[in-house]
Amino acid sequence: MTTAPQAADAAEVTEIDTSARWPLLLLLGSALLWLVLSGILALANLVQLHTPEFMAGCSALTYGRLSAIQETAFIYGWAANSGLAVALWLLARLGGAPLRSLNWVVAGTLFWNFALILGIAGIATGDMTSNAWLHLPAYVLPMLLVAYGTIAVPGVLAWTGRRKEMTFAAQWYAVAALFLFPWLFSIAQMMLVFAPERGVLQALVAGWFVQGAWTLWLAPLALAAAYYLVPKITGRIIPSYDFAQLSFWTLLFVGAWTGGRHLIGGPVPAWVATIAVVSCALLLFHYIVVAVNLRGAFCSGGSTVLKFVAFGLAAYVAGGFLDAYTAMRGVAVHTQFTHFSEGQAQLALNGAFSMLMYGAIYFLVPRITGLAWPSVPLIRAHYAAALTGTIVLVVTLIGAGCVQGHDLNTAAIPFADIAGHVRPWLLAATAGQAILLLGNLLLATHLFWLAAAKSVAPAVFNPAPTMEASVS
Amino acid sequence: MKNGFTFFLGLFLAVALAWTGIVMGSHVQLGHLAPYFDENEGKAFPERMPGIAAQGQLVYQDLGCAACHTQQVRRPDFGSDKARGWGDRQSVARDYVSQAHVQLGESRVGPDLATFGARPLAVDATRLTQYLYEPHGGMPAYRFLFEERKITGERSADALKAAAPAGYEIIPTHRAVSLVAYLQSLNNVYEYPEARPVEPAATKEGESK
Repeated sequence: MTTAPQAADAAEVTEIDTSARWPLLLLLGSALLWLVLSGILALANLVQLHTPEFMAGCSALTYGRLSAIQETAFIYGWAANSGLAVALWLLARLGGAPLRSLNWVVAGTLFWNFALILGIAGIATGDMTSNAWLHLPAYVLPMLLVAYGTIAVPGVLAWTGRRKEMTFAAQWYAVAALFLFPWLFSIAQMMLVFAPERGVLQALVAGWFVQGAWTLWLAPLALAAAYYLVPKITGRIIPSYDFAQLSFWTLLFVGAWTGGRHLIGGPVPAWVATIAVVSCALLLFHYIVVAVNLRGAFCSGGSTVLKFVAFGLAAYVAGGFLDAYTAMRGVAVHTQFTHFSEGQAQLALNGAFSMLMYGAIYFLVPRITGLAWPSVPLIRAHYAAALTGTIVLVVTLIGAGCVQGHDLNTAAIPFADIAGHVRPWLLAATAGQAILLLGNLLLATHLFWLAAAKSVAPAVFNPAPTMEASVS
Repeated sequence: MKNGFTFFLGLFLAVALAWTGIVMGSHVQLGHLAPYFDENEGKAFPERMPGIAAQGQLVYQDLGCAACHTQQVRRPDFGSDKARGWGDRQSVARDYVSQAHVQLGESRVGPDLATFGARPLAVDATRLTQYLYEPHGGMPAYRFLFEERKITGERSADALKAAAPAGYEIIPTHRAVSLVAYLQSLNNVYEYPEARPVEPAATKEGESK
């Protein structure tokens, strides 16, 4: 039987949680609005892929622009806002003191989202740059950087002012993500937008940035949530915890080197791709340790939060192995430039990152608001939709990629025929994306329902039933 | 991990090493790359892009054409790029030295365009302009790059042979003209010394015997 998240145990909720209520709700609310928007755009984008004339007359929504807007809304809208909220909350809890300087979070969030809206309007009206994960026009980039810095301030204060000298794996990942992103982001801005490198060096910097943004920012944010939630909910210590530190440093030191795998066979020095292939294999150590450390998530014992976390972890580890497999030149020759790569990206973003964030959101919102989620069936429906949608989307995109890769490499098949062969797969992927969007709409509605309920009735702590098994 | 200083040093090194290795390493190797001067032809390759083509590159970029088209040919024994007629040799770094916005692309929903300018469709600007106006297989029509204008006096020489309401004609905008010029300028076919196709090892052995 499923134990759904209920009102948090009053004893467990302290000022650490409640004092950060509004700033964190602001971050999460914006995150979910961006998630829904990016879901709608992803759906339209997939429709364009199998029915190219869809919205073709609208210059703001060509396939290329829509794809860039969708990616931007997902990464900088959903992932950044939700990841920051979760990281701040974790650092406060593990630091043992309420977050300080929360006004900075509110101001930063408002500026961040304002800059993002401006940037997306810029992409739609023709100011897009051609760099993956950095399509935003030059004029909003400095504002985003400053806004990120201000949101991260309380997190840094929580880390430096922590009550206990000892630190936990969740803290390492959260602090690494908070610190490393502004750095990556500012270097990428300089070398790609403000003072661009020459020739193919642009592609190399972009490859380094995209991989860095995943392995040094989004993945650590998601892992911070996982490393906090699993021991907290199962009430058991992390097995083989000694390896966690080594695994953390492996991700940080090796991860960013794997970006060159997308440039295999391209007009770049061959050693870049070779190092990426070797790094992908080395990184498997990290994935194995994560799986071993957090295997407790797979014995969820009825916890809904852990079900989300378990799926996210499975997707994360599977994604790591898939990266290593497709980095091999013999495989890359078939999967490169196809929907297969998109399937891998969706496995990482929707499968691993989003699922871990959903888990964290279901866990933390009742604690910061002191209110139970209004509807248990809604949470179950979201889980079912997120699970089905992600699996269908990823499997069909990978299937489409296999067909496309085979056809592209068989010169006897006319290029014009390939779209027809891939179409059934893309239709199924569209269905997967629609299910995923439905699930995300449920989550967004649920959060706003909870927040609205709060404004009507003041927070009432309901000691029973306890939300999850917890050991503080 | 009790020592905060060591922790931050680790974070610093994590970014710095990857950046130094990948970005600076490639920079040292390719940063000085210059166009290749061919004494027989008396000019340097790759040739500079004409101004209108450079404007077209911005149109290509802001419409997001790179979401469906790559501009990188893989070597003949790696994939079927050569067999598909996308280029006889692999693309090399020198092909891109004079481009302000390199758009290698990551997806081949549409064909590769690195040598597009050499293909029959691109040779005739009128035909290529017409191509952008009409949908073709997987590629939609880009009608917003054209305007419907009332015919005053004679028909414009630039008008497309497309169905327009009586008394009107379809004229490509400056954006369409520059995009066409850019697509025509994509012509990475000059054989640099470093770009000669690598023969498969088996053939070489056979030749030596």
